[in-house]
Amino acid sequence: MRRLPFQGRTLALVAVIVPLLALFVYVALRSGPLAPVSVTVASVETRAITPALFGIGTVQTRYTYRIGPTFAGRVKRLDVHVGDRVKAGQVLGEMDPVDLDQRIRAQGAALKRAEAALREAAARQNFARSQARRYEQLFAVRTISEELATTKHQELQIADAALSGAQEELIRARSDGEALVAQRNNLRLVAPVDGLVAVRDVDPGTTIVAGQPVVEVIAPESLWINARFDQVSASGLGAGLPASVVLRSRNGQALTGRVLRVEPMADAVTEETLAKVAFDSRPEPLPPIGELAEVTIELPALPAAPVIPNAAIRREAGQVGVWKIVDGDARFTPVKLGVGDLDGHVQVLEGVRDGEQVVVYSEKALTAGSRIDVVDDIPGVPR
Amino acid sequence: MSSKGIRIEGLKKRYGGGDTAVHALKDVAMDVAPGEVVGLIGPSGSGKSTLLKCLGAVIDPTAGRMTLGDEVIYDDGWKVRDLRALRRDRIGFVFQAPYLIPFLDVIDNVALLPMLAGVPNAEAREQALELLTALDVHHRARAMPSQLSGGEQQRVAIARGLVNRPPVILADEPTAPLDSERAMAVIRILNDMARKFETAVIVVTHDEKIIPTFKRIYHIRDGVTHEEAGEGRGFD
Amino acid sequence: MISLAGRDILHAWGKFVFTGIGLGLLIGVTLTMAGVYRGMVDDGRALLDNSGADLWVVQKDTLGPYAESSSVNDDAYRTLLAMPGIAQAVNVTYLTMQVRRGDLDVRAMVVGIAPGRPGIPGWPPYLVAGRQITRGHYEAVADIASGFRLGDRVAIRRNHYVVVGLTRRMVSSSGDPMVFIPLKDAQEAQFLKDNDAIWQSRRRTGANPAFNRPGVPDLLDAVIASQSTNAFVNAVLVTLEPGHAPEEIARSVGRWKRLTAYTRPQMEEILVGKLIATSARQIGMFLVILAVVSAAIVAFIIYTLTMDKIREIAVLKLIGTRNRTIAAMIMQQALALGLIGFVVGKITATFAAPLFPKYVLLVPFDSIAGFFAVLAICVLASVVAIRMALRIDPAEAIGG
Repeated sequence: MRRLPFQGRTLALVAVIVPLLALFVYVALRSGPLAPVSVTVASVETRAITPALFGIGTVQTRYTYRIGPTFAGRVKRLDVHVGDRVKAGQVLGEMDPVDLDQRIRAQGAALKRAEAALREAAARQNFARSQARRYEQLFAVRTISEELATTKHQELQIADAALSGAQEELIRARSDGEALVAQRNNLRLVAPVDGLVAVRDVDPGTTIVAGQPVVEVIAPESLWINARFDQVSASGLGAGLPASVVLRSRNGQALTGRVLRVEPMADAVTEETLAKVAFDSRPEPLPPIGELAEVTIELPALPAAPVIPNAAIRREAGQVGVWKIVDGDARFTPVKLGVGDLDGHVQVLEGVRDGEQVVVYSEKALTAGSRIDVVDDIPGVPR
Repeated sequence: MSSKGIRIEGLKKRYGGGDTAVHALKDVAMDVAPGEVVGLIGPSGSGKSTLLKCLGAVIDPTAGRMTLGDEVIYDDGWKVRDLRALRRDRIGFVFQAPYLIPFLDVIDNVALLPMLAGVPNAEAREQALELLTALDVHHRARAMPSQLSGGEQQRVAIARGLVNRPPVILADEPTAPLDSERAMAVIRILNDMARKFETAVIVVTHDEKIIPTFKRIYHIRDGVTHEEAGEGRGFD
Repeated sequence: MISLAGRDILHAWGKFVFTGIGLGLLIGVTLTMAGVYRGMVDDGRALLDNSGADLWVVQKDTLGPYAESSSVNDDAYRTLLAMPGIAQAVNVTYLTMQVRRGDLDVRAMVVGIAPGRPGIPGWPPYLVAGRQITRGHYEAVADIASGFRLGDRVAIRRNHYVVVGLTRRMVSSSGDPMVFIPLKDAQEAQFLKDNDAIWQSRRRTGANPAFNRPGVPDLLDAVIASQSTNAFVNAVLVTLEPGHAPEEIARSVGRWKRLTAYTRPQMEEILVGKLIATSARQIGMFLVILAVVSAAIVAFIIYTLTMDKIREIAVLKLIGTRNRTIAAMIMQQALALGLIGFVVGKITATFAAPLFPKYVLLVPFDSIAGFFAVLAICVLASVVAIRMALRIDPAEAIGG
């Protein structure tokens, strides 16, 4: 017996209870572990990728001239300041010579005295030679005794020796003088090349030890980047590869360069490979030495191969692989990966083929039993 | 169901014991034949309600004897084991207010009693509909009690009291909330039904309007009943 | 026989449904509270899952790297790699610090991940947008809870990083979003505070006559250089070759390498047992209170509903309704109320969960347990009302 008076009431009740139950069932199925996992998929594409290496380094100069005296002393004057351009041979400054000038003057006097002594010896020798010749002729006619003649001959010999001694003495005195002049010149600090004064360590009046630099001169043409690449991702690094350099102060402005050489010595502590990257043209204005730079090295393009986004790579039970879409279900497939580029594309050597669908993004970690719901974007991701 | 009315002899009810005992009923004797409607009249505190409760088997009398139909149900102690079943099947109640169950519709209010007794729903509703038809409220069978007028509610209540064809109906001030016209209608119905279903009806009342309709009246005073003849005018 | 409870509910369904919804909101709060606890535990587990390690090797006798600070020499992994049974050993750093994007300052756990490619322990196991880190420096993958977007430039200490990828549910045990950056940058970030601090440190070193000796002009530079490097990491994540028991390897690492190694269950014990133990007890206390309050409210509602029906119950009793029938009616109503409450509560909790700042995990087991708890509470709560209903005297129906 259908109860009419209840119908309105029952309808209202149904209107409340049915949506409530429907909502409940929806809630039970769409949330929690029973809910499907939203994923996005991508097709494996065969294409060529251009792998690249990324490293950071600092701006350095290839040649740095640290100019300083060869012996301890006090800096007398220093004519250049940091930032000055200098020419090869330009005197940058001078060490205090202390007594060197006096010693040079004394040496000049000694030289003159030696010249006088030479002249005296020459005169003596001249006289001795004429004496000896005369006595020889006299002895030949037997006007004098043999003894006397021999004596005069000996005197000539002595005079000869005295002359050559005086000559040597003159050479010595002259060389001594030259040596002092050379020393005096050495006190001047001279620029060896055209360059830029980068550092001025001391000021006039400072006493410094032998070998301590006073100024550092760099050659701006020889700027390069001392770049460091993590050893894990440094394969393929070699001389001659094109590089793009972004200086920290000029973000967004890439300078071109080239790998000059890869250092034979790697850094064992930081596990990095070092390489020098030269600029193709000198950057203007000159970047400060020591500025941080990001270096991207382009490697030669690789032949086309199946490529997946690196976000698709997952790790499951110790194996690296991807979740492949098979008949609407996600199935984990181990893969062997090749090289990747900096945009996140990775070559797959084994495991997936061109055109197969793999899971790229997922709302949560996938497991073998996960139900999946393929969407365009994972919900909740800010655009 | 054989119905030979109800007979009460020497019924006593004492509340409490010892010195403070209250003798609510001292000596009650009634005898109502099937089809007969008698009045039970008494002032407040005379024992009317106590008597009604004893008859309705909701409190225990102290002593006496009650015969319902041809079965002695009380003889200084209950002689039937299941008082609920007794109330349900063999005593009909009609109250001052209809006391219908508000969440059941009219037919189920009536059919509830046979259902409680184990009668299948459809059969119980058939019985109920029969009663409702007899009482001329069958057209409201599917209404809720709150949708009925006072007279209709009372008729439904009477139908409920009758649905199990009890040998006796206890009506407790059934006309109190009604105006005289409707009160008369109710009494007429009770009379008609008593005749039709061979039921003894005891109407507890102090409604002056309806007293003249009884042929026999029991007065109760201080726990003692006195039988007297009523005017028995019937209905005008 | 018709269902008295059902008829009563149908009769007053509005009152019933609204009472049920009210109760449902309370149950929803209770379920959410359980979810908060589960979420905390899950944050800890997520941290361990995301690191992808079988063993965590940390400084000797520390509870690192999550619960206590730990530092390990960054070449310790090489000696670990030489041990039999160890497949991978990878450095990792964890440091909670401020990550800035413009004016926005986000507290995040910065994770330094070893160079390589995805799949290495410590790397984010999955992404929701963007790509994994390909450059060895100045790239970051951030959890979406940080609010960062792809392409944002964020600053960590002195360096700027480009957000190249976004991930999800990568949080520290305290719920801070993770930001993954290359290991070398992270080591530097841990050490290099800010430029002022570096200058001051240099000046302090320069003022120390032991380091700034006139006769040895290069000494100061050497000392400063040695001060500005950080050769430490917080932990080494180790994965094992199949067939090796983690406990054994952990023991031998502890014995021979003078380091402490934790297995997954031990890490869970540290994170769940130690880090969030008090918070968990706090929430447990709340759950108990909410359960008691719910029970009291159900009891009160049922009691009131029964009180409203005293007259009807008396009539029912008078006309011979069995006590069992009446008790069943009250209990069925209580259960129906509990059912509506549970359904509403479950829906509320599910829709409210994502709005919470920290992760709220609703576990089906909790819902099922909650369902039976609600039914039990309803049955218990109806006992009071049933007792009262059974005490009603059928004589009350008879006036006078």
